[in-house]
Amino acid sequence: MTAPAIETRELRKNYGDVRALSGLDLTVDRGEFFGLLGPNGAGKTTFINTLVGLVHKDSGTAEVFGFDVEDDYREARDRIGLAPQEFNVDRFFPIIEVLEHKAGYHGIDSEEARRRAEDALKTVGIWEKRDTRFNWLSGGMKRRFVLARALVSDPDLLILDEPTAGVDVQLRHDLWDIINRMNDEGTTILLTTHYIEEAERLCDRVAIMDSGRKVEVAAPDELMARGTDTIDLGLADPPRTAPRLDVEGVTEVAVTDGGLSVTAAGGSQTAPALMRELERTGHTVTSLDIRRASLEEVFVDLTRDDREYAEVSA
Amino acid sequence: MNRNTTQFLTLVRREILRFVRRPYNTFLPPIITNTLYFAVFGVILGSRIGEIAGVSYLQFVLPGLVVLGAISDSFENASFTIFHGRWNDYIQAVLTSPMSNRSMVTAYVSASALRGIVTSLLIVGVGLVFTPVPVANPLYLVAFLLIITTLFGGLGVIGGLWATDFDYLTVMNQFILRPLVFFGAVFYSLEVLPPLWRNVSLLNPMVYMVNGVRYGMIGVTEIDPNTSLAVLTGVTAVVLAIDFLLFKRGYGLAE
Repeated sequence: MTAPAIETRELRKNYGDVRALSGLDLTVDRGEFFGLLGPNGAGKTTFINTLVGLVHKDSGTAEVFGFDVEDDYREARDRIGLAPQEFNVDRFFPIIEVLEHKAGYHGIDSEEARRRAEDALKTVGIWEKRDTRFNWLSGGMKRRFVLARALVSDPDLLILDEPTAGVDVQLRHDLWDIINRMNDEGTTILLTTHYIEEAERLCDRVAIMDSGRKVEVAAPDELMARGTDTIDLGLADPPRTAPRLDVEGVTEVAVTDGGLSVTAAGGSQTAPALMRELERTGHTVTSLDIRRASLEEVFVDLTRDDREYAEVSA
Repeated sequence: MNRNTTQFLTLVRREILRFVRRPYNTFLPPIITNTLYFAVFGVILGSRIGEIAGVSYLQFVLPGLVVLGAISDSFENASFTIFHGRWNDYIQAVLTSPMSNRSMVTAYVSASALRGIVTSLLIVGVGLVFTPVPVANPLYLVAFLLIITTLFGGLGVIGGLWATDFDYLTVMNQFILRPLVFFGAVFYSLEVLPPLWRNVSLLNPMVYMVNGVRYGMIGVTEIDPNTSLAVLTGVTAVVLAIDFLLFKRGYGLAE
């Protein structure tokens, strides 16, 4: 059987009294575009650094394409390209040489390393800056360069830790195009981001992490379907107080200027029954608008629930 | 060339380029410093001292200055490159690569040893301006220089991993290494010391290094060179083993 791109079981890591990872179980399939969402301190970067050897786990297992990240670290790391959140770039050399060195560390001979370095710089659009040192690049170019460095070893697993943090819209879309192309060509992508729209747009599946563990994992659409939608109803004769609506799925009813705002799980399934109930109680519905729950709302709900659970457990 | 060799040579090349491209920081200081040593200690003071162990004072101090330059620069190179890489996190590009821990350590130590040897040659070059430089036992000279620079490259790795600020590097180089070398019979013969201080000096490992290189250059030593070489080789092996272990455990490198 083919091993998944990433598989962790009961992965734990503590920093003193702080639990960074508390029994994380996660599987990322080969070729998948996988998002990792979570508030600051959720354990996302610790998880990534465990995969590449910058963090030593306390217990549990972590494998990359079937290779244990500690026992078979050379095989595991050879398959990973990492674009970290922080700029950890060698400032002594022009950027093209930094890329050649990185390729060389992966065992790629000098001629091929040069070719790959050139390709990577062209791919991310900073070829003309090849003889410049990292310090002298603009913020956006630095972000592009970090991606180029992750690409230069032609990884099977590309890990991107907040790749579009602080970049403008145009660059964000450029980076999305590059990452999508890599994924289309078969590279597994692990993306952490604070931009929910990014996860919604790019990822096949997302895991929501909080307090060092996985809270939920599903396709963005599935997660959004689990959220509560908002149904805005226009009424010919708006009531002064919210009526009691005996409809399955409805969680909250509020009076608005021209009608009602109803919160319900699965808005499109609930709407017909809702309209029938309103007409049965003497109201005339003049308009209807369903606003789907965004992934951001689901994310906030899930992480809030998890914190409440953690507080109660404690 | 196999992948392991390519990985190793890439890191060695990177390390060599780092110091070769900054000669004002790496090679010019030992040239200036040693020119001053030769001018003051050799020419001005040396003319009043006369011969020691059958050679001029300049020729007597030259091996000691070679050792001082070699160990300072090999130690400084390894400790700086490791610490600076940690300080700015760019050492992570190496650490997250598929290189073996041993290969990383060997590359850092080899490049640092090479820098120490280049510095030695520069000091000899400066010495040639002031006096003929004899090479009485070339094999011993090469062996001692190789083992000394490797040993201090290895110690520099430990220093670079241990340091948490630039002050640590200064403390190690200026307050530990230099005093040991200065009291390691660089500028004087052990014979001129009272018996007590002569015996105390024998506890200083630098004495064995200085005497070994002196034997290689002028053929005179106060300590058996084979014993010195054997002890230094053993100590170097221990230091490298510690380097490997520290990298494996991620000391100063991984959380």
